Amino acid sequence: MVPVSIQVRQALSKLVLPVLLLMSVGIIIAGQADRPLADRARMRVADVLAPLWSLLSRTQTDSERLVHGLKEARNLAEENHRLSAENANLRRWYEVAVSLARENDTLKTELHWVPEPTPAFVTGRVVADSGGIYARAVLLVAGTTSGVQTGNIALASSGLAGRVTEVGAHAARILLITDIASRLPVELESSHAAAIMAGDNSPLPRLLYYSQDTRPIEGERVVTSDQAGAFPSGIPIGSVHYLHPGQPVVQPFARLDRLTMLRVFDFGQSEIEPPEAPGHVPLTRPHRALTLPFKTLLGPGQEG
Amino acid sequence: MSDPHQPRWEHDAETQLTSRQRLDRTARHLLPSVFTALVIIFFSAPVTIPGAAELLPAIVINTIFFWSVWRPSGMPSLAVFLLGLFMDLVGFTPLGVSAFILLLVHGIGSYARFGLMRMNFLVVWCLFGLVGAAAAALQWALACLFRLHLLDPAPAFFEALLCIGVYPLLSATFSWFLHILDEKDTP
Repeated sequence: MVPVSIQVRQALSKLVLPVLLLMSVGIIIAGQADRPLADRARMRVADVLAPLWSLLSRTQTDSERLVHGLKEARNLAEENHRLSAENANLRRWYEVAVSLARENDTLKTELHWVPEPTPAFVTGRVVADSGGIYARAVLLVAGTTSGVQTGNIALASSGLAGRVTEVGAHAARILLITDIASRLPVELESSHAAAIMAGDNSPLPRLLYYSQDTRPIEGERVVTSDQAGAFPSGIPIGSVHYLHPGQPVVQPFARLDRLTMLRVFDFGQSEIEPPEAPGHVPLTRPHRALTLPFKTLLGPGQEG
Repeated sequence: MSDPHQPRWEHDAETQLTSRQRLDRTARHLLPSVFTALVIIFFSAPVTIPGAAELLPAIVINTIFFWSVWRPSGMPSLAVFLLGLFMDLVGFTPLGVSAFILLLVHGIGSYARFGLMRMNFLVVWCLFGLVGAAAAALQWALACLFRLHLLDPAPAFFEALLCIGVYPLLSATFSWFLHILDEKDTP
């Protein structure tokens, strides 16, 4: 160290603070002038401190978990008591369910019930659909090679998701029930009244054309109806909810905004042809070509 | 025979003692700065402490003010400058702003220390409250200046209040600590 006199040392020590203040002002100006440099310095410091920080946050999460565990342990006896009571209750219900199923089987046997065919189904992964003519539709990785056909019904884990509208060899487009093009005949479960569920591209499709004496009740389950022959009856769709008085909508059970897997069922509905009723005059013949007001779409003299 | 060895023994023992003393003294001088640095690291970690962003400058300003007044050897200007720079690098304030503010606090503290040391605790607390409020206001003003539009002054108020509120607690802790150090110094 350079030997300096006491006076000089005192003067120097008095100078340190102003010099440092000036330096910090200089750093402020430099940091404003060259922001990338400041950011790089920041990132370097953060890199060095990152292990320390992760240690700190891990300690915190560990201690939180410990506290949470202790709290849980305090409630353990109470929880155990509640669960065993619930378990006893459920066991009783299980016995009831088994006896009811047995009774149901017996009754069906006595009535010579024609069993419904168990539908075949395939499961596919949903990939997002950006194109297509529908606003609410998804692509499923399962096509004609897996037995998917147009008109099949797609179910999510908890309820109806939509219908197959187009099929390729390895992919199928499924029109969701929320799309504006989707109109399904439905049944209100408690009143067995028919209605039409119409999508409007919002997450909650509307209920239309229900009869005025059996209005949908808030919270009532909505299931499919077999009126048009497109769906088997009784597939759960959702529950009724009133957004405004007189405007019932359906809250779908299926989480249509985050579909990952869909099961496509072939209920074979199209094969059921009603037998001809003698004396019954159909209003429109089933397999007649539509008569157009003009002869053909082509101009006159061009018919081939 | 033993006579020539005697002085060397004593000499060895003496140097050992002085080196230990020197180490002890260095540790004592560094302790406030190391404490502040650890506080900065702790509060900038992603731990969920309510009001951590306002509490950190409050604690740092408190610590620097206290040591500048009561034991300036433990908080030299260079350490204050480096701590402020470190705080800027770790936090999101413009580079150098914290260093500037902390140096001002340190300067006020060390300039007024002989007056402050003779005063009542409550008076010192009031004066420190003024310093802390001024520091928070200055920080807010500088932030406004660099963003070029008026920011919400509520966090600055909160910071000033925290700064004033934390002072008795930290001051008591540091005084107790100083007391222990002095007791060790005079066995």
